[in-house]
Amino acid sequence: MNGNSTRTVGILFALAFGLVVARPVLAHHGAAGLYDVSKAVMMKGTITKFEWTNPHNQIYFDVKDDKGNVVHWIVATEPPQVMLERGWTRRSLKEGDQVTVYAFVASNGAPVGNLQRLVLPDGKELSAR
Amino acid sequence: MPHRVLLSATALMALMIFSLVVRAQNTVPSRAQAGPPPGATSKVADLSGDWAPDPKRGGIGQSLSLSDNGGRQRGNETDIPYLPWAREKTLSERSSTGPDLGFASTTDPQVLYCEPPGVPHIYLWPIKTKLVQTPEAVYILHEYGPFFRVVWLNSKHPEDPDPQWWGHSIGWYENDNTLVVDTIGFNDKTWLDQVGHPHTEQMHLIERYRRVDKNTMELDMTIDDPGAYTKPWNARRNFILSTTGFLRYQQICSVKENQRFFDNLAKPAIKK
Repeated sequence: MNGNSTRTVGILFALAFGLVVARPVLAHHGAAGLYDVSKAVMMKGTITKFEWTNPHNQIYFDVKDDKGNVVHWIVATEPPQVMLERGWTRRSLKEGDQVTVYAFVASNGAPVGNLQRLVLPDGKELSAR
Repeated sequence: MPHRVLLSATALMALMIFSLVVRAQNTVPSRAQAGPPPGATSKVADLSGDWAPDPKRGGIGQSLSLSDNGGRQRGNETDIPYLPWAREKTLSERSSTGPDLGFASTTDPQVLYCEPPGVPHIYLWPIKTKLVQTPEAVYILHEYGPFFRVVWLNSKHPEDPDPQWWGHSIGWYENDNTLVVDTIGFNDKTWLDQVGHPHTEQMHLIERYRRVDKNTMELDMTIDDPGAYTKPWNARRNFILSTTGFLRYQQICSVKENQRFFDNLAKPAIKK
């Protein structure tokens, strides 16, 4: 890991960490320019992988765009230890689950983001906050 | 004549005693000699349980400042008596969270390099703390790291402690409900909180863990660091009892895992 990437890991970690500890000042996080935290984007997709890991869980899912092309998305949550407190487990999601995802997504249009909440096929909602 | 000799001897003795008293008053006792004060009690305060930051009373917060928990007045807090260099240092840092944050240039060594947050910075993390009390020591366990500290009871600090991340801690009980932790021997590598307040190796930290009731614990801290601040200043954290379990998942800072996170979620977002 070079210096820049180490720093950027810190940046992203700080972003997610900041969302845990500093929700009243979320608006300021938008200044980083990496994620648009002014609104959560809704997407319907299919889970391909759920990584329950430090420093942040990663949810992989496929979404079809307007042209029918499959776009591979990844969104992050808080660390497992924090998500356990919020009722999640490593079995909360499995491959093939049809889900509706609400996330703050990258400002540059890349298919990555920070999960806000997720709705399972049976209507059960999992909050990431 | 005998009376004059007696008076002279008495005067000389009084002068010597006065001199000794003045000398004693002007001598700062070595911290290594500091130990449990007369007010210490043998009754052990019950601090058992898993303690989570109280979201209704300050939460985790950004700053240790009692007047500026959110870190909005960084460098200009009314209750932090900075030395000039410490104020400049604070203002030069780039916080990773809070109103002055700068993601693209954060200088927080804990965030950048996975360095230990140290104390009191550890108390500004969204984690729980457990106190394990034994007759010889109190072990303070943190979910992040996982890090732990040993607070030696019935003990003294070493004369010349090596500067270390968590310092050297001794402790005693007071008022039936309080554990006092006295720590010296810190290195100067950690921030005191999320917004970059610095400290030096001279820092002397006094923590008072007080169980207010079954479900509540308060931690009052005094930061005494003549290398960075003109006088001691105070901070507080509030905790509530958690029943969801301690350390259900090990929150470890791993460079390899961070790299994977970077590759998957950072790189794509940075590209223009």
